[in-house]
Amino acid sequence: MAIPMFFILLLLIFFVLRILPGDPVMSMLGGKAPMSVIEQKRHELGYDKPILEQFFIYVGGLFRGDLGRSALTKHPIADEIGRKLPATIELTIFGFIIALAIGIFWGAEATRHHNEPVDVAGRFYAIFIYSVPVFWLGMLFQWLFGVQLRWLPIAGRISPLLRPEEITGLFLLDSLITWNIPAFKDALAHIILPGLALGMIISSIFLRMVRSNMVLMLSKDFVKAARARGIKERSIIYRHSLKNAFVPIMTVMGLQLALLMAGAVLTETTFSWPGIGSYLVEKIRYRDFPAVQGTIAIFALLVVVINILVDIINALVDPRVRY
Amino acid sequence: MKKEWSPSYRLGKALSRVFKNKSGLMAFIGLAILVTYIIFAVFAPYIAPYDPTVKSGPAYSPPTKDHWFGTTNLGYDVLSRIIYGARIALLIAFLAVAVAAAIGIPLGLLSGYIGGTFDRILSMIMDAVYSFPGLVLAIAIAAVLGPGIINVALSIAVIYAPTYFRVIRNQVSSIKDDLFVEAARAIGARDRTILLKYILPNVLPSVIVVLSMNLADAIMTEAGLSFLGLGIAPPTPDWGYDLSNGQRFLLLNYWWMIIFPGMSIITVVLGFSLFSEGANEYLNPNVGETRR
Repeated sequence: MAIPMFFILLLLIFFVLRILPGDPVMSMLGGKAPMSVIEQKRHELGYDKPILEQFFIYVGGLFRGDLGRSALTKHPIADEIGRKLPATIELTIFGFIIALAIGIFWGAEATRHHNEPVDVAGRFYAIFIYSVPVFWLGMLFQWLFGVQLRWLPIAGRISPLLRPEEITGLFLLDSLITWNIPAFKDALAHIILPGLALGMIISSIFLRMVRSNMVLMLSKDFVKAARARGIKERSIIYRHSLKNAFVPIMTVMGLQLALLMAGAVLTETTFSWPGIGSYLVEKIRYRDFPAVQGTIAIFALLVVVINILVDIINALVDPRVRY
Repeated sequence: MKKEWSPSYRLGKALSRVFKNKSGLMAFIGLAILVTYIIFAVFAPYIAPYDPTVKSGPAYSPPTKDHWFGTTNLGYDVLSRIIYGARIALLIAFLAVAVAAAIGIPLGLLSGYIGGTFDRILSMIMDAVYSFPGLVLAIAIAAVLGPGIINVALSIAVIYAPTYFRVIRNQVSSIKDDLFVEAARAIGARDRTILLKYILPNVLPSVIVVLSMNLADAIMTEAGLSFLGLGIAPPTPDWGYDLSNGQRFLLLNYWWMIIFPGMSIITVVLGFSLFSEGANEYLNPNVGETRR
């Protein structure tokens, strides 16, 4: 499923960026450029070849890890994205962990205390936070914790002088590997606000998901059996039910990663986080369409890879799943 | 006349039934919020205290008696911009959802009814679009099409069309062999008639809840696009643009430029979600616990 999906996505991206009525070359150069300049630019970008040939050239390049060159900086797009990608991965993982923590604990507690304050508050939180734009929550945090209280930095990934030696590109991990504690603290201080904003937005979906699946589990026979054996409620919730509810939760959570990445584009822009989200926005601002196309292709690749990973993890966690 | 027949009695009965359960109340609150914003949008010139695109006071004024929500860096009245901003937000959301439904529903009908390879290919395309981060796709399309109400609405419509397609297609393929369809075929009804007169009325109700939920998402996506500078060209009042404009002055502690536009996005999205949530549980009481 995943491989054809990737091709369809590529085709779609290609269609959007090359065939839709808006002409990328025209909008790159502005309306008043003379015809000869437009023709030359078209030729330079390979846009004058037959459309099918262009697609195959593009896909062929993609498989060799070649996304073409940026129309603006003339650097290979793959290198540029490669430098930005770790920042996005770090932010996404951090946000995911926060969403997971809020979602699982609050969801499990809400199931345990059905219709009590913790459950009702959880339902209100889920509906409310779903309506909050991630960039607004980010700005609120910036104003509250950055401008008013002056606790945390509100932009960037790390203070320039503390940049750790890059191994994986994930600053939190790199600074731990090299045992660079000041860098670790600084990177952590920078990631808390964007990570929290991103994580909280997604947590509403996790919370509802965990709660509804756990409620379903609690009506199953194995829970009744566990209760009859006198097992503590706490253990029934966290060990028996949560474990069994985990496969459907995992599947949805994996799919939410796509949402998390969309949220990352907005979060990165809000916090000047130097990942592929702010790269994409910057490239759109400069009308650098080859780079835009490359970035979106990478998004498609990430979505497909995540889908495959979710399937594999499901098969590992649940022995009933076979492919 | 018997008491039970009087209109006011029946209205009271119906209302008390709606409010007896929480979902009815939720739907009502959501609807109240939505009606407020629709009134804002329609009657903006009569409600807004100032012209939203004309300097109406000192720049950077915090909330005062004259400017309840303060003014922007150009001296525009924030409250007036919020009231006028409802126009763009609602207009684009309704347009986008209408286009998405107009693409998704017919394709879903055909795909479910015809089946076979056609169905498999179309489903795969729709699933691919569905699984892709919607905002990223909308960003790409909006970037190519350029600014403008129609263009932004189209970019948002593309990402929601698969939702309608999936809902309709699955329902059609599950009822297309039902007895009433076979009966229609047996008396010689043409495919067109079967699809439009027999199947469509049966699958359409399921779209209502999706519609309301999508309106909420569409408003959110529009705000995101205009926050990134891909929405309507300034100075047209637009909540997302106002937020990104306000962020530039955050360090100077001009909080009113971000708090109020943000609250308006939140309340209108909340209105749509409460309405769809409440309406869904009210209409299908059995699925409430297991949804999502």
